[in-house]
Amino acid sequence: MDLISQIFDNATREGRTVLLEPEAKTICMEYGIPVTKFKLATSEEDAVKYAGEIGFPVVLKIVSPDVIHKFDVGGVILNLKNRKQVREAYSKIINNVKHSKPDARIVGVLVQEMAPSSTEVIVGMTKDPQFGPALMFGLGGIFVEVLKDVSFRVAPITERDAREMITEIKGYPLLKGYRGMPPADVDTIVQILLKTSKLVTEHPEVDQLDLNPIMVYEKGAKVVDARMILSR
Amino acid sequence: MVSVSRESLKPFFEPRVVAIIGASDKPGKVGNTILINFLWGNFKGEVYPVNPKYNLLLEKRCYASVKDVPKPVDLAVIAVPASLVSKVMEECAEKHVKAAIIISGGFKETGPDGARLEKEVAAIARRGNIRVIGPNCIGVYNPETNVDTMFLPEEKLRRPPRGSIALLSQSGAFMGTMLDWAAYEGLGISKAVSYGNECDVDLIDLIEFLADDPSTRVIAVYVEGIEHGQKFIRVVKKATTKKPVIAIKSGRSTRGKAAVLSHTGSLAGEDVLYSMAFKQTGVLRAEDFEEMLDLAKAFALQPPATGDRVLIITDGGGAGVMAVDACEHYGLNVPELDPKLQEELKQYFPPYCSTHNPIDLTGDTDNQRYRIALEKAFLNYGGVDSALVILLVQAPSLTVDVVDIVRDINNKSTRPMVACCMGGEYSAKVAKEVERRGIPSYPTPERAVRAIWALTKYGQWKLREIRGNNRFHENLN
Repeated sequence: MDLISQIFDNATREGRTVLLEPEAKTICMEYGIPVTKFKLATSEEDAVKYAGEIGFPVVLKIVSPDVIHKFDVGGVILNLKNRKQVREAYSKIINNVKHSKPDARIVGVLVQEMAPSSTEVIVGMTKDPQFGPALMFGLGGIFVEVLKDVSFRVAPITERDAREMITEIKGYPLLKGYRGMPPADVDTIVQILLKTSKLVTEHPEVDQLDLNPIMVYEKGAKVVDARMILSR
Repeated sequence: MVSVSRESLKPFFEPRVVAIIGASDKPGKVGNTILINFLWGNFKGEVYPVNPKYNLLLEKRCYASVKDVPKPVDLAVIAVPASLVSKVMEECAEKHVKAAIIISGGFKETGPDGARLEKEVAAIARRGNIRVIGPNCIGVYNPETNVDTMFLPEEKLRRPPRGSIALLSQSGAFMGTMLDWAAYEGLGISKAVSYGNECDVDLIDLIEFLADDPSTRVIAVYVEGIEHGQKFIRVVKKATTKKPVIAIKSGRSTRGKAAVLSHTGSLAGEDVLYSMAFKQTGVLRAEDFEEMLDLAKAFALQPPATGDRVLIITDGGGAGVMAVDACEHYGLNVPELDPKLQEELKQYFPPYCSTHNPIDLTGDTDNQRYRIALEKAFLNYGGVDSALVILLVQAPSLTVDVVDIVRDINNKSTRPMVACCMGGEYSAKVAKEVERRGIPSYPTPERAVRAIWALTKYGQWKLREIRGNNRFHENLN
């Protein structure tokens, strides 16, 4: 059985519809969607070791099926620059989560490469009862949350659809480079949209998906956080 | 597959034998108006009234059941109470009727009992191989064959002339209004269908059918909801490579979606997704009734534009500026004209006329300046893709004969032309003359520019779709 089916089976067996972040990112990787380097640690020692392998600075994030908003429970600590900071952050995250959500099952802590900040975009998908899998694209942060400046297309999409999704949002000029900011790698965003389209078309089990944020650079991009929800 | 569905929908529009089930002689009854439409409305086939209460109706022999009709029936128009529809449909099935328009209401739209009844009727239709439009609709109007099941009396709802605009509407009342308005505006209709509850034939089937209908140049749709979204996208995307589809989607309020765990899910409101579906299929979304008819008129009379460069000719500076503003709003290009062309124009025009774009012929213009501007800067000039001719006919030396100049240029051009006649009664009269000559005219520069925008947007869509490169997920690295 392939890796993706194993992940789905596992989740189903455990009665979960929300995939864990490392699971969602593994599926992304199977489709060639670029994600930040990560490793799941279950002890302080592991966390320190993995941080060394990935390279500083790193981010630590709680991995728990019962925590949906990781920031809200103090489950994320950014920009850890050395072993000592990683060690401290590990126990701090575990304590934070135990404190604010005592019943939460803790799978471990994700050690993740700290992606340099850049232009943030979001790629998502939601199933609509009429139209099926609707892919979404938008600029991250307030552009999505306040201005709702997003575009949608039903999957599967063509390369042209992907380019239109990117160019039709109002914030598109920001991607072309604005006030000294370098232009963002639009071709890579197109690739991410096409690969996401392929992913959701080939795996109708996926009901909702957020790749948010995706850091886009002059060359290349990295998915910093991924969320996938399976249909019941 | 396409030809099968085409053939099966034909009896709705070109039946040779029609049975009116529930026909009546009581003025004001649905079954009376429909019977009159067919008997006195130059219908080109045979009509058989069916109603067990009568032996004679309007001097025609009336039959107790559709089974008694002495000829094979192509189309049954059913206007009986909902509770009788199943029985009538069973008889239609026995009679091998090809198609039925069920006018009667009292089905899905009334609640679960009605929905059950509708399912029953749909099942009978499927078993009997009968295509059904409705229930809960006012059916079909086809001015070519004079099929007219619209039960709104002629004196209250004028029927528009033959033309090339097809109208489709989920709502019967909206259809009635659109037809009456089209008649009032002198817009010609190829076919009109109020399709109601879609128990069999749905909006998508009708769009597919009309895309291959030689009398139809543009399809205008009023829709409240689409049941089969994925089929809509697949089929309508193909239809729009053949002809333009304009849609009004009502109900723009956002739907509250329960338990959305993803960001994307919370942003995917119903209206957003309909806009998506229209964009992805090349359907032009009209905001309102006026825009829908404005755009339909443009497509009925003019070819799509292959590029976004607009030439504006005016005899009033203000109107020209407003047109430029509107072009900018719609993302259209108003390019500067070639200096050589401008030199040439200057030889013909007084020095105070502007030879830039917009070309301003000014308030002392005569008809000839329009001819020269249109010939030199549009017909014989490759730098623009469409023309907006603003005629402020109040100008003292401009006469109504300018409309023939506009017509001559339009007849020779393969690129679209749109006119704008601003003003009151006299201007409206001139506008009608312009339209009679095949050039759509609008009372404001904004509406005229919006028509050019639609011709341009559709032209670009069609070009791209036909050129291909439409494979999914291709060029993945």
